[in-house]
Amino acid sequence: MLASTVSPLAIARRRNELGLVLLAAFITGAAYVLASLGKNASLPARVGPFLVSLLVLLVCAHIGVRKFARGASPLLLPLATLLHGVGYVMIARLSDRLAGLQATWSLIAVACFIAVLVVVRRVTDLLRYQYTFLFLGVMLQLLPLVPGIGFSSGGARIWVSIGPINFQPGEFAKLCLAIFFAGYLAEQREVLSTGGKRIAGVQLPEMRTFLPVMLAWGVSVVVMVAEKDLGSSLLFFTLFVVLLWVATERSGYLVFGGGLFVLGAFIAYNMFGHVRDRFTIWLDPWSHYNGKGYQIVQGMFGFAEGGLSGTGLGLGDPTRIPAVKNDFIFAAIGEELGLFGATAVLAAFVFIIGSGLRTAIRTDNAFEKLLAVGLTTILGVQAFIILAGVLRVLPLTGVTLPFMSYGGSSLVANYMLLGLLIAISHSSARRLHEVAQ
Amino acid sequence: MNRVIRRLAIGLLACYALLFVQLNVWQVGKRADLRANPLNNRESVRQFDAPRGPIVTSDGVVIAQTVKMAKNKRDASGYTYQREYPTKELFANVSGYYTYAYGATQVEHLYSDVLAGTTPKQQLLAVGSTFNNVDQTGEVQLTLNSELQKLAQRQLGTREGSAVVLDTRTGAVLAMYSNPTYDPNTVAVHNNDDAGVALETLANAPGKPLLANAYQERYMPGSTFKVLTTATGLEAGFISMASKWPNENSWLPPNTKNPIANYGKSTCGGDMAEVFRRSCNIPFARMSADMGPEVMVNGVKKWGVGEKLPIDLPNAAASTFGGDVADFTNSLALLAIHGFGQGSVQMVPLHMAMVAATVANGGVMMKPYVVAKTLAHNGTVLTSTSPEVWRRPISPATAATLNTLMVGVAKEGTAKCCLALAGGIQAAAKTGTAQLNAPGETQRSHAWIIAFAPAEAPRVAVAVMLKGVNAQISAGTGGTLAGPVAKVLLDRALKVVPQ
Repeated sequence: MLASTVSPLAIARRRNELGLVLLAAFITGAAYVLASLGKNASLPARVGPFLVSLLVLLVCAHIGVRKFARGASPLLLPLATLLHGVGYVMIARLSDRLAGLQATWSLIAVACFIAVLVVVRRVTDLLRYQYTFLFLGVMLQLLPLVPGIGFSSGGARIWVSIGPINFQPGEFAKLCLAIFFAGYLAEQREVLSTGGKRIAGVQLPEMRTFLPVMLAWGVSVVVMVAEKDLGSSLLFFTLFVVLLWVATERSGYLVFGGGLFVLGAFIAYNMFGHVRDRFTIWLDPWSHYNGKGYQIVQGMFGFAEGGLSGTGLGLGDPTRIPAVKNDFIFAAIGEELGLFGATAVLAAFVFIIGSGLRTAIRTDNAFEKLLAVGLTTILGVQAFIILAGVLRVLPLTGVTLPFMSYGGSSLVANYMLLGLLIAISHSSARRLHEVAQ
Repeated sequence: MNRVIRRLAIGLLACYALLFVQLNVWQVGKRADLRANPLNNRESVRQFDAPRGPIVTSDGVVIAQTVKMAKNKRDASGYTYQREYPTKELFANVSGYYTYAYGATQVEHLYSDVLAGTTPKQQLLAVGSTFNNVDQTGEVQLTLNSELQKLAQRQLGTREGSAVVLDTRTGAVLAMYSNPTYDPNTVAVHNNDDAGVALETLANAPGKPLLANAYQERYMPGSTFKVLTTATGLEAGFISMASKWPNENSWLPPNTKNPIANYGKSTCGGDMAEVFRRSCNIPFARMSADMGPEVMVNGVKKWGVGEKLPIDLPNAAASTFGGDVADFTNSLALLAIHGFGQGSVQMVPLHMAMVAATVANGGVMMKPYVVAKTLAHNGTVLTSTSPEVWRRPISPATAATLNTLMVGVAKEGTAKCCLALAGGIQAAAKTGTAQLNAPGETQRSHAWIIAFAPAEAPRVAVAVMLKGVNAQISAGTGGTLAGPVAKVLLDRALKVVPQ
């Protein structure tokens, strides 16, 4: 396709995106009104200003993409805003106080999203700073362990308090480490994929190439042991193993990584009471109903209450589920929006993953490819970890549900992640000469 | 790398497919099981946190109602509705309370369906208005009069005891109040822990405030029981108005060494009217012992002693004569003592009011009831209580005789002091001073009175019992202490119940 100053394909993509963003805005606005009608039998207070700011916010995000990444996939932003909108409605329905805070974070998140698009004009430029990102990522990840500013909440030491602001630096560390690993592996993939010994039919890489795997494992162990953040630990490890696998195209890494994970999980199970607890309540929450199993059982009751079509927004009783506004927000969606609504949320995540991986496949730049895979894996696996925990597919490990859970750090980090994905998507479109520049 | 990325996509898709399968398990497959799980109280909370109709007195005062809480007043429980008892302690013993974790009592318990609007009749009425979101709740209308009830509360003051006012012709309860009582608002709180603490405190409080003493407790009746002894004697043809008893201050019952004395060790005797009026003990002791266990026990049983009172409230108590024929056969002395309401005979205050009402009603004992009717939200009458006869313990002739005897008590007997009703209306009464202490101990006694009016065409009956918990009450008699309370209540009740 020939480059032109105003590519019809770019126009079509942005037009589709605008249409879908407006649809997401409409769904969010309607859900917001319905939730208030359901809960209080009255229209929400200041519904006009809410709808206007919702529309302005989403259209701003769209204009950001139109200005700085006009060749990008038209699906990523609308899917994220839909999840964000439904999540916000649920948070607002659960707590008036949190709704205000989350609205502020939504503004910041969209601003950061646009900032990422503005700053990262050429994704490959990030390669130059890969060791800066490594340093930044490790620092951010270890920040909560610094005495004085780091603190524990809900059992995990993942919080940092600087002045009036509390945040979870780990949410941003994920992005930094994904950038570093994508860069490192893009350069080293040839070396890493050359063979070592074959053991039992599986070709293992050479000893020195174990190093990055061991580093990843080490970071995961630190996160698990020192910060007691099982979910993030699992997420990191999966991210590194997946990137290694994709970069080297060698299933050996997957097998080896899986083995290390099982070993780590086994050791953790035997060493830490809180890990054992998670397993115990996963297998049998009923006998721990009055203690640690209460949350998961209430979550199941919530899903059951919802049935196919849900109780209706504002008409269920999700507040009885502990941490329903963050880790367990999916249970609230299952209760009030039913199987239909919950399936729509699952589908939205699947579509985001699909769009992300399609972006990875379309670009021919190894760094962009690996970065797109890394970012998509972070999003997709993090959502899977918490959804699987809530649904009792896996033992529960507390991480936020991207775009939906209450929490500023998570929302901002995920919008930045989205910005990077969209930047890669635009960059590949440019390289394919689908759009100009 | 693209080949691997596609595999990754398939892998992640498989993960999400797994989530979808599990979602179906919880929301469809195991839905019914999870909802029926005993640990799952979502359904019961929803039923609890719903509109509920009011309980209203016969004069239209709301004693229990459900209000929708203003949004800013909602508590952490997340409930939308709050049950309120605007009259606080006044009707606690009748309305009861309504809680989530500790159930409901009294009318709140028995008429829960009507109040919540879930009786089949109410649901039928609501069928046509499925889409109008019509209030389905029902209303319970009591027979009790709020002014009369307030008067009972005020008259008892801080004294422990009960006052019951009945419509003699129907059995409708016009007032029923007991001290100590409690404020149901302190129990019907949303926080289950707070409700539990409040209930436990009340359960352990002295005087059992949670129990409606007027119909859920029984006490030694003292001389008011002489009405039953006299009735038994009259019915058996064993005594008549012409019967006479010697003037004596001590009598030794058969096979015993402990003589029986009159109240205050006085010398007392004379004809039927005189011994009844002056409430001599010895004549009734002799009467009881002479009639023997068989006649006495069966005579008393005719009044429903030993049976749960048939009031339309849960957990009513039963009065007791304190023994059966066999128990008294070898102990006529005990039977003699029971003849004047001492020993182990115990009567429920409501039952004593029913005794007075039966004499007033020509020997017909009506079933007492507190609920006059139940109404659907649109005013349709769902149920209406029609008066029912419980039993006929005495003939109209015996009733007439007892009426005369009780008029004597009010006119010139032990209640002469205190029962002059407004407008010169004649009352009929029997007093009682139930001695709780053993001989030689500090005096401790319950003060009783049962009465009805007007004597010639009775409409209302009353029973007042003041518990002998302190020296002040124990020093008085039923006539002087309980009499004035009965007078005030009778005066007011006669205005409430038309001729």
